[in-house]
Amino acid sequence: MIKAVNLCKTFGKIKAVDNVNLEINQGEVICIIGPSGSGKSTLIRCLHGLETPESGELYIDDKKIDFSKNNSKELSKIGFVFQSFNLFPHKTVLENLTLGPIKAFGVSQKDAEETGRKLLARVGLADKENSYPSQLSGGQKQRVAIARALCQNPEAILFDEPTSALDPEMIGEVLNVMKELADEGMTLAVVTHEMGFAKKVATRVIFVDSGKIVEEGTPDQIFENPQSPRLKEFLSQIIHM
Amino acid sequence: MNAIERILTPENLKFMLLGAKYSLLIAIFALIGGSVLGLLAAVAKMSKIKPARIIANIYVEVIRGTPMMLQILVLYLCGPVITKALFNFVFTPNPVLVGIIAIAINSGAYSSELFRSAIQSVDKGQWEAAQTIGLSYTQTMKEIIIPQAFKRILPPYINEFIVLIKDSSLLANIGAVELLHSAQVIGAKFYNYLVPLLCATVMYLVVTLFISFCARKLERRLAESD
Repeated sequence: MIKAVNLCKTFGKIKAVDNVNLEINQGEVICIIGPSGSGKSTLIRCLHGLETPESGELYIDDKKIDFSKNNSKELSKIGFVFQSFNLFPHKTVLENLTLGPIKAFGVSQKDAEETGRKLLARVGLADKENSYPSQLSGGQKQRVAIARALCQNPEAILFDEPTSALDPEMIGEVLNVMKELADEGMTLAVVTHEMGFAKKVATRVIFVDSGKIVEEGTPDQIFENPQSPRLKEFLSQIIHM
Repeated sequence: MNAIERILTPENLKFMLLGAKYSLLIAIFALIGGSVLGLLAAVAKMSKIKPARIIANIYVEVIRGTPMMLQILVLYLCGPVITKALFNFVFTPNPVLVGIIAIAINSGAYSSELFRSAIQSVDKGQWEAAQTIGLSYTQTMKEIIIPQAFKRILPPYINEFIVLIKDSSLLANIGAVELLHSAQVIGAKFYNYLVPLLCATVMYLVVTLFISFCARKLERRLAESD
Protein backbone atom coordinates (compact mmCIF):
# COMPACT_ATOMS: atom_id res chain seq x y z
CA MET A 1 0.00 0.00 0.00
CA ILE A 2 2.77 2.41 0.99
CA LYS A 3 6.26 1.60 -0.17
CA ALA A 4 9.42 3.59 0.47
CA VAL A 5 12.57 2.71 -1.44
CA ASN A 6 16.00 3.97 -0.38
CA LEU A 7 14.51 7.03 1.29
CA CYS A 8 17.01 9.65 2.46
CA LYS A 9 16.45 12.94 4.27
CA THR A 10 19.11 15.08 5.88
CA PHE A 11 18.87 18.19 8.01
CA GLY A 12 22.18 19.98 7.65
CA LYS A 13 24.70 17.26 8.48
CA ILE A 14 22.29 14.98 10.31
CA LYS A 15 20.93 12.04 8.39
CA ALA A 16 17.42 11.90 9.80
CA VAL A 17 16.36 9.18 7.39
CA ASP A 18 19.22 7.11 6.04
CA ASN A 19 18.45 4.86 3.11
CA VAL A 20 15.26 3.39 4.50
CA ASN A 21 13.26 0.69 2.74
CA LEU A 22 9.82 0.14 4.17
CA GLU A 23 6.65 -1.41 2.94
CA ILE A 24 3.32 -1.08 4.69
CA ASN A 25 0.74 -3.64 3.64
CA GLN A 26 -3.00 -3.66 3.96
CA GLY A 27 -4.21 -4.50 7.45
CA GLU A 28 -0.83 -4.12 9.13
CA VAL A 29 -0.38 -2.25 12.37
CA ILE A 30 3.18 -1.05 12.42
CA CYS A 31 4.73 0.59 15.43
CA ILE A 32 7.92 2.52 14.88
CA ILE A 33 9.97 2.86 18.04
CA GLY A 34 13.36 4.30 18.77
CA PRO A 35 15.21 6.90 20.85
CA SER A 36 14.44 10.61 20.54
CA GLY A 37 16.12 12.15 17.53
CA SER A 38 16.44 8.79 15.81
CA GLY A 39 14.51 10.06 12.80
CA LYS A 40 11.33 8.10 13.30
CA SER A 41 9.11 11.20 13.08
CA THR A 42 10.93 12.38 9.98
CA LEU A 43 10.45 8.95 8.46
CA ILE A 44 6.71 8.92 8.96
CA ARG A 45 6.44 12.52 7.78
CA CYS A 46 8.28 11.53 4.60
CA LEU A 47 5.66 8.85 4.00
CA HIS A 48 3.04 11.59 3.76
CA GLY A 49 5.06 14.11 1.80
CA LEU A 50 5.30 16.46 4.79
CA GLU A 51 9.05 16.23 4.33
CA THR A 52 10.53 16.04 0.88
CA PRO A 53 13.19 13.34 0.80
CA GLU A 54 16.45 14.14 -1.01
CA SER A 55 16.54 10.81 -2.68
CA GLY A 56 14.57 7.63 -2.81
CA GLU A 57 11.12 6.83 -3.97
CA LEU A 58 7.72 6.71 -2.42
CA TYR A 59 4.86 4.68 -3.84
CA ILE A 60 1.25 4.81 -2.74
CA ASP A 61 -0.82 1.99 -4.19
CA ASP A 62 2.01 1.36 -6.65
CA LYS A 63 1.80 4.93 -7.91
CA LYS A 64 5.08 6.82 -7.68
CA ILE A 65 4.89 10.13 -5.84
CA ASP A 66 6.58 12.96 -7.68
CA PHE A 67 7.66 15.37 -4.97
CA SER A 68 8.05 18.28 -7.37
CA LYS A 69 4.31 18.25 -7.93
CA ASN A 70 1.21 18.53 -5.85
CA ASN A 71 0.26 15.01 -4.82
CA SER A 72 -2.74 15.83 -2.69
CA LYS A 73 -4.90 13.33 -4.57
CA GLU A 74 -2.69 10.33 -3.87
CA LEU A 75 -1.61 11.47 -0.44
CA SER A 76 -5.12 12.10 0.81
CA LYS A 77 -5.74 8.35 0.56
CA ILE A 78 -3.58 8.27 3.67
CA GLY A 79 -4.66 9.98 6.86
CA PHE A 80 -2.20 11.65 9.20
CA VAL A 81 -2.43 12.38 12.91
CA PHE A 82 0.04 14.82 14.45
CA GLN A 83 1.62 14.96 17.86
CA SER A 84 0.31 18.50 18.33
CA PHE A 85 -3.17 17.73 16.93
CA ASN A 86 -3.13 20.67 14.49
CA LEU A 87 -6.86 21.13 14.64
CA PHE A 88 -8.13 24.32 13.04
CA PRO A 89 -8.82 26.57 16.04
CA HIS A 90 -11.27 28.87 14.25
CA LYS A 91 -13.53 26.02 13.14
CA THR A 92 -15.91 23.92 15.21
CA VAL A 93 -15.19 20.27 15.77
CA LEU A 94 -17.63 19.26 13.06
CA GLU A 95 -16.24 21.84 10.63
CA ASN A 96 -12.76 20.48 11.27
CA LEU A 97 -14.04 17.13 10.06
CA THR A 98 -16.07 18.27 7.08
CA LEU A 99 -13.71 20.88 5.63
CA GLY A 100 -11.55 18.39 3.74
CA PRO A 101 -14.37 16.33 2.24
CA ILE A 102 -16.33 19.44 1.20
CA LYS A 103 -13.47 21.55 -0.17
CA ALA A 104 -11.04 18.95 -1.47
CA PHE A 105 -13.37 16.17 -2.57
CA GLY A 106 -16.57 18.02 -3.42
CA VAL A 107 -18.74 16.06 -0.99
CA SER A 108 -22.01 17.83 -0.26
CA GLN A 109 -22.25 19.55 3.09
CA LYS A 110 -25.11 17.31 4.17
CA ASP A 111 -23.27 14.08 3.40
CA ALA A 112 -20.05 15.37 4.92
CA GLU A 113 -21.82 16.34 8.12
CA GLU A 114 -23.55 12.99 8.31
CA THR A 115 -20.23 11.16 7.96
CA GLY A 116 -18.62 13.60 10.38
CA ARG A 117 -21.24 12.97 13.07
CA LYS A 118 -20.90 9.22 12.67
CA LEU A 119 -17.15 9.44 13.08
CA LEU A 120 -17.44 11.73 16.08
CA ALA A 121 -19.73 9.17 17.68
CA ARG A 122 -17.16 6.50 16.87
CA VAL A 123 -14.45 8.35 18.80
CA GLY A 124 -16.92 9.06 21.60
CA LEU A 125 -17.34 12.79 21.03
CA ALA A 126 -20.83 13.03 19.53
CA ASP A 127 -21.77 15.77 21.99
CA LYS A 128 -18.84 18.02 21.02
CA GLU A 129 -19.64 18.76 17.40
CA ASN A 130 -20.29 22.46 18.02
CA SER A 131 -17.37 23.00 20.40
CA TYR A 132 -14.19 24.72 19.37
CA PRO A 133 -10.85 22.94 19.77
CA SER A 134 -9.80 25.30 22.56
CA GLN A 135 -12.71 23.97 24.65
CA LEU A 136 -11.48 20.38 24.47
CA SER A 137 -8.95 18.47 26.52
CA GLY A 138 -5.82 17.13 24.85
CA GLY A 139 -7.20 13.62 24.60
CA GLN A 140 -10.43 14.91 23.07
CA LYS A 141 -8.47 17.01 20.58
CA GLN A 142 -6.49 14.02 19.46
CA ARG A 143 -9.64 11.95 19.08
CA VAL A 144 -11.11 14.72 16.92
CA ALA A 145 -7.91 14.67 14.88
CA ILE A 146 -8.31 10.92 14.39
CA ALA A 147 -11.93 11.42 13.33
CA ARG A 148 -10.75 14.12 10.91
CA ALA A 149 -8.27 11.70 9.38
CA LEU A 150 -11.02 9.08 9.08
CA CYS A 151 -13.26 11.56 7.28
CA GLN A 152 -11.36 11.22 4.04
CA ASN A 153 -12.05 7.48 4.18
CA PRO A 154 -8.35 6.65 4.18
CA GLU A 155 -6.72 3.36 3.25
CA ALA A 156 -4.23 3.83 6.05
CA ILE A 157 -3.53 6.28 8.86
CA LEU A 158 -0.10 7.43 9.95
CA PHE A 159 0.41 8.63 13.52
CA ASP A 160 3.33 10.79 14.59
CA GLU A 161 3.66 10.34 18.35
CA PRO A 162 -0.07 10.78 18.91
CA THR A 163 0.11 10.61 22.69
CA SER A 164 3.37 12.41 23.43
CA ALA A 165 1.71 15.78 24.01
CA LEU A 166 -0.96 14.38 26.31
CA ASP A 167 -1.33 14.26 30.04
CA PRO A 168 -0.84 10.68 31.27
CA GLU A 169 -4.49 10.15 32.17
CA MET A 170 -5.57 11.02 28.63
CA ILE A 171 -3.27 8.65 26.81
CA GLY A 172 -5.56 5.67 27.36
CA GLU A 173 -8.59 7.15 25.62
CA VAL A 174 -6.58 7.89 22.49
CA LEU A 175 -4.86 4.51 22.44
CA ASN A 176 -8.25 2.83 22.85
CA VAL A 177 -9.57 4.56 19.75
CA MET A 178 -6.46 3.50 17.86
CA LYS A 179 -6.82 -0.07 19.08
CA GLU A 180 -10.43 -0.14 17.90
CA LEU A 181 -9.29 1.02 14.47
CA ALA A 182 -6.69 -1.74 14.40
CA ASP A 183 -9.29 -4.30 15.44
CA GLU A 184 -11.51 -3.16 12.59
CA GLY A 185 -8.71 -3.90 10.16
CA MET A 186 -7.51 -0.37 9.45
CA THR A 187 -3.91 -0.13 8.32
CA LEU A 188 -1.92 1.89 10.83
CA ALA A 189 1.65 3.06 11.14
CA VAL A 190 2.40 4.61 14.51
CA VAL A 191 5.50 6.35 15.76
CA THR A 192 5.21 5.90 19.48
CA HIS A 193 6.85 5.66 22.87
CA GLU A 194 3.95 3.59 24.21
CA MET A 195 5.62 0.20 24.37
CA GLY A 196 2.53 -1.41 25.91
CA PHE A 197 0.51 -0.39 22.88
CA ALA A 198 3.20 -1.65 20.53
CA LYS A 199 3.34 -5.00 22.31
CA LYS A 200 -0.40 -5.50 22.38
CA VAL A 201 -1.61 -4.05 19.11
CA ALA A 202 1.24 -4.05 16.59
CA THR A 203 1.59 -6.73 13.96
CA ARG A 204 5.11 -5.54 13.26
CA VAL A 205 7.50 -3.39 15.29
CA ILE A 206 10.28 -1.42 13.66
CA PHE A 207 13.21 -0.13 15.68
CA VAL A 208 14.83 2.95 14.21
CA ASP A 209 18.13 4.46 15.29
CA SER A 210 20.24 7.17 13.60
CA GLY A 211 17.87 7.24 10.67
CA LYS A 212 18.20 3.54 9.91
CA ILE A 213 15.91 0.59 10.47
CA VAL A 214 18.03 -1.40 12.87
CA GLU A 215 15.68 -4.25 13.55
CA GLU A 216 12.13 -5.24 12.77
CA GLY A 217 9.85 -8.11 13.63
CA THR A 218 6.80 -9.16 15.57
CA PRO A 219 6.34 -7.60 19.01
CA ASP A 220 7.48 -10.87 20.54
CA GLN A 221 10.69 -10.91 18.54
CA ILE A 222 11.45 -7.27 19.26
CA PHE A 223 10.57 -7.10 22.94
CA GLU A 224 11.33 -10.62 24.13
CA ASN A 225 14.18 -11.60 21.89
CA PRO A 226 16.01 -8.51 20.64
CA GLN A 227 19.06 -9.23 18.50
CA SER A 228 21.01 -6.03 17.96
CA PRO A 229 22.96 -4.54 20.88
CA ARG A 230 21.45 -1.12 20.16
CA LEU A 231 17.89 -2.40 20.58
CA LYS A 232 18.83 -4.34 23.72
CA GLU A 233 20.30 -1.19 25.18
CA PHE A 234 17.22 0.87 24.19
CA LEU A 235 14.83 -1.63 25.75
CA SER A 236 16.84 -1.88 28.94
CA GLN A 237 16.63 1.88 29.32
CA ILE A 238 12.91 2.24 28.78
CA ILE A 239 11.65 -0.68 30.81
CA HIS A 240 12.06 0.42 34.37
CA MET A 241 9.85 -2.06 36.12
CA MET B 1 -16.08 84.81 19.76
CA ASN B 2 -17.24 87.02 17.02
CA ALA B 3 -14.98 85.32 14.51
CA ILE B 4 -16.31 81.90 15.41
CA GLU B 5 -19.91 83.00 14.92
CA ARG B 6 -19.03 84.72 11.68
CA ILE B 7 -17.10 81.80 10.21
CA LEU B 8 -18.76 78.70 11.58
CA THR B 9 -22.14 79.35 10.04
CA PRO B 10 -24.34 76.30 9.47
CA GLU B 11 -23.44 76.47 5.79
CA ASN B 12 -19.71 76.46 6.42
CA LEU B 13 -20.04 73.74 9.01
CA LYS B 14 -21.91 71.68 6.46
CA PHE B 15 -19.07 72.33 4.02
CA MET B 16 -16.54 71.16 6.59
CA LEU B 17 -18.60 68.05 7.36
CA LEU B 18 -18.78 67.28 3.67
CA GLY B 19 -14.98 67.45 3.64
CA ALA B 20 -14.85 65.16 6.64
CA LYS B 21 -17.15 62.72 4.88
CA TYR B 22 -14.86 62.72 1.86
CA SER B 23 -11.81 62.21 4.06
CA LEU B 24 -13.46 59.14 5.54
CA LEU B 25 -14.55 57.81 2.17
CA ILE B 26 -11.08 58.33 0.72
CA ALA B 27 -9.58 56.46 3.67
CA ILE B 28 -12.08 53.60 3.40
CA PHE B 29 -11.61 53.07 -0.32
CA ALA B 30 -7.85 53.44 -0.04
CA LEU B 31 -7.84 50.88 2.78
CA ILE B 32 -9.81 48.41 0.67
CA GLY B 33 -7.59 48.96 -2.38
CA GLY B 34 -4.49 48.86 -0.21
CA SER B 35 -5.61 45.58 1.37
CA VAL B 36 -5.98 43.93 -2.01
CA LEU B 37 -2.58 45.21 -3.13
CA GLY B 38 -1.00 44.39 0.22
CA LEU B 39 -2.34 40.85 0.24
CA LEU B 40 -1.15 40.27 -3.32
CA ALA B 41 2.27 41.68 -2.48
CA ALA B 42 2.46 39.57 0.69
CA VAL B 43 1.59 36.38 -1.18
CA ALA B 44 4.05 37.31 -3.95
CA LYS B 45 6.79 37.92 -1.38
CA MET B 46 6.30 34.46 0.09
CA SER B 47 5.96 32.87 -3.32
CA LYS B 48 8.33 30.27 -4.70
CA ILE B 49 8.34 32.17 -8.00
CA LYS B 50 11.38 34.43 -8.04
CA PRO B 51 10.10 37.13 -10.44
CA ALA B 52 6.98 37.53 -8.27
CA ARG B 53 9.18 38.04 -5.21
CA ILE B 54 11.36 40.56 -7.05
CA ILE B 55 8.41 42.61 -8.33
CA ALA B 56 6.78 42.64 -4.89
CA ASN B 57 10.04 43.71 -3.26
CA ILE B 58 10.59 46.53 -5.75
CA TYR B 59 7.04 47.74 -5.20
CA VAL B 60 7.37 47.75 -1.43
CA GLU B 61 10.84 49.34 -1.37
CA VAL B 62 10.03 52.07 -3.89
CA ILE B 63 6.83 53.06 -2.13
CA ARG B 64 8.26 52.94 1.36
CA GLY B 65 11.41 54.73 0.32
CA THR B 66 9.75 57.78 -1.22
CA PRO B 67 7.48 60.49 0.22
CA MET B 68 3.78 59.92 -0.15
CA MET B 69 3.30 63.48 -1.39
CA LEU B 70 5.64 62.71 -4.27
CA GLN B 71 3.64 59.60 -5.15
CA ILE B 72 0.42 61.58 -5.17
CA LEU B 73 1.92 64.30 -7.36
CA VAL B 74 3.43 61.79 -9.78
CA LEU B 75 0.11 60.07 -10.23
CA TYR B 76 -1.88 63.28 -10.48
CA LEU B 77 0.43 65.45 -12.56
CA CYS B 78 2.23 62.82 -14.61
CA GLY B 79 -0.54 60.23 -14.92
CA PRO B 80 -2.07 61.73 -18.07
CA VAL B 81 1.38 62.23 -19.62
CA ILE B 82 2.26 58.62 -19.01
CA THR B 83 -0.98 57.23 -20.36
CA LYS B 84 -0.59 59.48 -23.41
CA ALA B 85 2.90 58.17 -24.09
CA LEU B 86 1.88 54.57 -23.53
CA PHE B 87 -1.63 54.30 -24.87
CA ASN B 88 -2.15 57.67 -26.59
CA PHE B 89 -4.92 58.27 -24.10
CA VAL B 90 -5.37 61.52 -22.23
CA PHE B 91 -7.65 61.99 -19.25
CA THR B 92 -8.45 64.78 -16.89
CA PRO B 93 -7.59 63.38 -13.51
CA ASN B 94 -10.21 63.56 -10.82
CA PRO B 95 -8.25 64.55 -7.72
CA VAL B 96 -10.33 62.43 -5.34
CA LEU B 97 -10.10 59.34 -7.53
CA VAL B 98 -6.38 59.76 -8.23
CA GLY B 99 -5.87 60.44 -4.54
CA ILE B 100 -7.61 57.22 -3.54
CA ILE B 101 -5.48 55.25 -5.99
CA ALA B 102 -2.26 56.90 -4.81
CA ILE B 103 -3.04 56.31 -1.13
CA ALA B 104 -4.11 52.73 -1.86
CA ILE B 105 -0.82 52.04 -3.62
CA ASN B 106 1.05 53.55 -0.69
CA SER B 107 -0.98 51.70 1.93
CA GLY B 108 -0.58 48.40 0.07
CA ALA B 109 3.18 48.58 0.42
CA TYR B 110 2.96 49.07 4.17
CA SER B 111 0.18 46.57 4.81
CA SER B 112 1.94 43.89 2.77
CA GLU B 113 4.44 43.58 5.62
CA LEU B 114 1.56 43.43 8.07
CA PHE B 115 -0.08 40.64 6.10
CA ARG B 116 3.16 38.77 5.58
CA SER B 117 4.10 38.70 9.24
CA ALA B 118 0.56 37.73 10.27
CA ILE B 119 0.42 34.92 7.73
CA GLN B 120 3.83 33.65 8.75
CA SER B 121 2.86 33.76 12.40
CA VAL B 122 0.26 31.05 11.83
CA ASP B 123 1.64 27.74 13.06
CA LYS B 124 3.30 25.58 10.42
CA GLY B 125 1.22 22.63 11.64
CA GLN B 126 -1.88 24.30 10.24
CA TRP B 127 -0.40 24.13 6.74
CA GLU B 128 0.57 20.52 7.28
CA ALA B 129 -2.84 19.52 8.61
CA ALA B 130 -4.52 21.23 5.65
CA GLN B 131 -2.18 19.38 3.30
CA THR B 132 -3.00 16.01 4.85
CA ILE B 133 -6.75 16.51 4.36
CA GLY B 134 -6.21 17.34 0.70
CA LEU B 135 -6.62 21.13 0.61
CA SER B 136 -4.80 23.05 -2.11
CA TYR B 137 -2.58 26.07 -1.43
CA THR B 138 -5.35 28.52 -2.27
CA GLN B 139 -7.92 26.64 -0.20
CA THR B 140 -5.52 26.48 2.73
CA MET B 141 -4.88 30.22 2.50
CA LYS B 142 -8.56 31.04 2.28
CA GLU B 143 -9.99 28.57 4.78
CA ILE B 144 -7.22 28.13 7.32
CA ILE B 145 -4.46 30.71 7.22
CA ILE B 146 -6.10 34.05 6.43
CA PRO B 147 -8.93 33.68 8.98
CA GLN B 148 -6.35 33.05 11.70
CA ALA B 149 -4.02 35.76 10.48
CA PHE B 150 -6.94 38.17 10.35
CA LYS B 151 -7.41 38.09 14.09
CA ARG B 152 -3.78 39.01 14.67
CA ILE B 153 -3.81 41.68 12.02
CA LEU B 154 -6.92 43.51 13.22
CA PRO B 155 -5.34 45.89 15.77
CA PRO B 156 -2.51 47.14 13.53
CA TYR B 157 -4.93 47.19 10.64
CA ILE B 158 -7.29 49.59 12.38
CA ASN B 159 -4.28 51.70 13.14
CA GLU B 160 -3.52 51.74 9.42
CA PHE B 161 -7.04 53.05 8.83
CA ILE B 162 -6.39 55.94 11.21
CA VAL B 163 -3.14 56.68 9.42
CA LEU B 164 -5.00 56.78 6.11
CA ILE B 165 -7.57 59.23 7.44
CA LYS B 166 -4.73 61.55 8.34
CA ASP B 167 -2.87 60.86 5.10
CA SER B 168 -5.93 61.78 3.08
CA SER B 169 -5.23 65.41 4.10
CA LEU B 170 -2.28 65.37 1.70
CA LEU B 171 -4.82 65.37 -1.11
CA ALA B 172 -5.64 68.99 -0.20
CA ASN B 173 -2.53 69.80 -2.25
CA ILE B 174 -4.08 68.50 -5.46
CA GLY B 175 -7.42 70.13 -4.73
CA ALA B 176 -9.39 67.05 -3.73
CA VAL B 177 -12.45 67.65 -1.62
CA GLU B 178 -11.57 66.54 1.89
CA LEU B 179 -11.53 67.94 5.39
CA LEU B 180 -8.27 69.90 5.36
CA HIS B 181 -9.06 71.26 1.92
CA SER B 182 -12.46 72.50 3.16
CA ALA B 183 -10.78 74.18 6.11
CA GLN B 184 -8.28 75.89 3.81
CA VAL B 185 -11.03 77.08 1.46
CA ILE B 186 -12.96 78.62 4.34
CA GLY B 187 -9.77 80.05 5.79
CA ALA B 188 -8.96 81.77 2.51
CA LYS B 189 -12.47 83.10 2.17
CA PHE B 190 -12.55 84.78 5.59
CA TYR B 191 -8.84 85.61 5.94
CA ASN B 192 -8.96 83.60 9.13
CA TYR B 193 -7.29 80.19 9.32
CA LEU B 194 -7.39 79.74 13.05
CA VAL B 195 -11.08 78.94 13.35
CA PRO B 196 -11.47 76.53 10.40
CA LEU B 197 -8.20 74.73 11.17
CA LEU B 198 -9.18 74.33 14.82
CA CYS B 199 -12.54 73.06 13.68
CA ALA B 200 -10.80 70.55 11.37
CA THR B 201 -8.54 69.52 14.26
CA VAL B 202 -11.57 68.72 16.39
CA MET B 203 -13.22 66.77 13.58
CA TYR B 204 -10.10 64.69 12.87
CA LEU B 205 -9.70 63.98 16.57
CA VAL B 206 -13.32 62.95 17.05
CA VAL B 207 -13.03 60.44 14.23
CA THR B 208 -9.60 59.02 15.08
CA LEU B 209 -10.23 58.81 18.83
CA PHE B 210 -13.55 57.10 18.22
CA ILE B 211 -11.93 54.53 15.94
CA SER B 212 -9.09 53.77 18.32
CA PHE B 213 -11.61 53.45 21.16
CA CYS B 214 -13.52 50.85 19.12
CA ALA B 215 -10.24 49.12 18.25
CA ARG B 216 -9.34 48.77 21.92
CA LYS B 217 -12.74 47.29 22.71
CA LEU B 218 -12.46 44.86 19.83
CA GLU B 219 -8.96 43.87 20.84
CA ARG B 220 -10.14 43.08 24.34
CA ARG B 221 -13.00 40.97 23.02
CA LEU B 222 -10.67 39.05 20.70
CA ALA B 223 -8.26 38.45 23.54
CA GLU B 224 -11.08 36.94 25.57
CA SER B 225 -11.99 34.40 22.89
CA ASP B 226 -8.45 33.05 22.77
